[in-house]
Amino acid sequence: MATRILTVEDDERIRTAVRMALEDEGWTVIEAESGEEAVDAFAGQPADVVLIDLMLPGMDGFELCRSLRRTSDVPIVMVTARTDTHDVVAGLEAGADDYVTKPFQPKELSARIRALLRRARPAESGRAHVRFGELEVVPDEGVVRRNGTEIHLTKTEFRLLCELASAPGRVFSREQLLERVWGYDYFGDGRLVDVHVRRLRTKIETDAANPRHVVTVRGLGYKIQT
Amino acid sequence: MNTAGPGVATRARRFMRMGLRTRLTVAFALGALVLSVILATVTYGLVRENLVRQREASATRQAFLNARVLRDSLRGASASEQSLLDTLQTPAGASPVLFRAGQWFAANPIEQGREQLPVRLRELVASGKAARMRFNLKGTTELAIGVPIPSIDGAYFEIASFSDVQRTLTSLALSLLAAAIVTTIAGAALGATASRRVLRPLSHVSAAAVAIAGGRLDTRVARVTDPELGTLIDSFNDMAGALQERIERDARFASDVSHELRSPLTTLTASVGILDARRDELPERARAALDLLSADVQRFSSMVEDLLEISRFDAGAAHLHLETARISELVVQAVAASGNRGVPITVSAEAAASTVAVDKRRLVAVVSNLLSNAERHGGGATTVDVELGDGGTVRIAVEDAGAGVAPEDKERVFERFARGADAAGRRGTGEGVGLGLALVREHVNLHGGRTWVEDRRDGAPGARFVLELPLVAVGPDSAGDEVDLGPAAISATELATELAAEAAAEQAELGETLE
Repeated sequence: MATRILTVEDDERIRTAVRMALEDEGWTVIEAESGEEAVDAFAGQPADVVLIDLMLPGMDGFELCRSLRRTSDVPIVMVTARTDTHDVVAGLEAGADDYVTKPFQPKELSARIRALLRRARPAESGRAHVRFGELEVVPDEGVVRRNGTEIHLTKTEFRLLCELASAPGRVFSREQLLERVWGYDYFGDGRLVDVHVRRLRTKIETDAANPRHVVTVRGLGYKIQT
Repeated sequence: MNTAGPGVATRARRFMRMGLRTRLTVAFALGALVLSVILATVTYGLVRENLVRQREASATRQAFLNARVLRDSLRGASASEQSLLDTLQTPAGASPVLFRAGQWFAANPIEQGREQLPVRLRELVASGKAARMRFNLKGTTELAIGVPIPSIDGAYFEIASFSDVQRTLTSLALSLLAAAIVTTIAGAALGATASRRVLRPLSHVSAAAVAIAGGRLDTRVARVTDPELGTLIDSFNDMAGALQERIERDARFASDVSHELRSPLTTLTASVGILDARRDELPERARAALDLLSADVQRFSSMVEDLLEISRFDAGAAHLHLETARISELVVQAVAASGNRGVPITVSAEAAASTVAVDKRRLVAVVSNLLSNAERHGGGATTVDVELGDGGTVRIAVEDAGAGVAPEDKERVFERFARGADAAGRRGTGEGVGLGLALVREHVNLHGGRTWVEDRRDGAPGARFVLELPLVAVGPDSAGDEVDLGPAAISATELATELAAEAAAEQAELGETLE
């Protein structure tokens, strides 16, 4: 079945151009003009990736993001008009996996989507499962358990945890994580890593403010503390 | 011909040129001086009048008394006039003179005599009238009183001195002068104090104006209770508010325009991408047109980006997201990120392990702007080198093989919309957006660094754009600051070892892959 991409954008011309560009990649594109329409469309038939413009009339992109996250771990790419403001961090905290900034190259957008689709597939088998503290990561099954209870993570959060857990105690720089988890081959935005680590901590740590498992090594990056 | 006019005007101008405080002090001092001089003069005049009148009254009384004594004595016995005169009671400094039967007698014959008495007084007395007259004798004022004594066919004169009155008046004048001087000084002091008090709010206003000029647009002056100064401060604050609003509106306008342009640009970029994917299906002329379109959409996008970026600096909304990283790694990544992987990068041994705190996005923008500047104006970057600068800094330099920058343009190239081309066409294809180098400078300034352009080191024609950033020391001594982190903190020595090892590996790798 063809990959389905839900594009939520209120500007008709942008929507059409983006649809054509994505169709060129061989993907099926479903269009939505507003957040409300997107929620309905997604409820009708879930998409493989959702592309959300943050500036939407009515229900805005952040709200749509949170609303989708309540029921699904579908990969979400947000489209922002600004890189410097809090929009990016707020969007990531609302649950987005990655972002592109207007105006973006169609190639850049498809690269981001392809990276997300790769992540959505089960991780390559053969990775040993790792146990630290009360946590247990099983890459083959795509699950994390705390004291035997499964914790729900998005694909990106899970992939991030797997990377860090592949070498417990080793420090991973933001660049390394951006490359391995998000597929950026050069400078990505370090905030992607930071916000995802924060999201991950709220789910797997007992006290997210004083993390015991995913710890920061200031100036260097992050590591798993065993 | 008016010669006094310009003189007065000049003096007035000179006075106005003095500070308000000086002028107020001078005015207060002058006021006090004038007032005290008037008071002193009036006081002196009244006292003098009073003393003189008293002296005249007492001298007259004494003269009449003495005349009566002489009359009684001379009418009876045939006493000697001279001896009588000597026994007369006279106030200090007074000289009795007797005229009898055409003969003059004086107590002090050498000094006093007929010659010294005013003629008019003698005539009046001779006609039988008592008279009193002030006259000048050897520079001092004297009082002469004449009393006719018909019963002995003579007249009695007395010359009284004013010297003691004069002494009293002199000491009074000295006291009044001293009081006037003290009053004037007090006036000046009062003027200085008052003007300082008056001007204190003005100095606050001045400090606020300096702060506003320095970019702290939200500076305001605290209100004061004084109604007049309150008006000034209110007006100043209103002006500052209006100015701030206007500057912010201008900055916001540039930012809003850039944002508004992003939507159509998104459509343009996406559409050009779609066309580009089908370029093989296009006729040749359409393909050529597509290339033009594609290049300019790209250029347009970066112009909008640059405008937006610079409007953030103007709005004071540019904030650093600092991350600590090794400079060598950053430069390699920045060069790669700006799509110029082919440019050779040289990192000096000392610079290889050094660390900087930078906003990576900005550093990428800086390196990329310098590289595309070299591309546009200097035929492409020939080398990027990284080395330590003076005083704990690191320098990143981009060299090109263009015609270089003329000495007079070395500052100007960093100005906004400064085009590189001059009459001789040394630089420039007219393509320069003109914001690139201005942004480089803004970004680097934000990091507390410096930027400049110089000639190539090897003497070949070409420009060398240098940026200097402050280093963050990383070593066994300071590493403690770099590590935070709770239970998982790795030790300082561990960190230093790790860094050194990575730096060495990095250098080996650089040598292999980048040359």
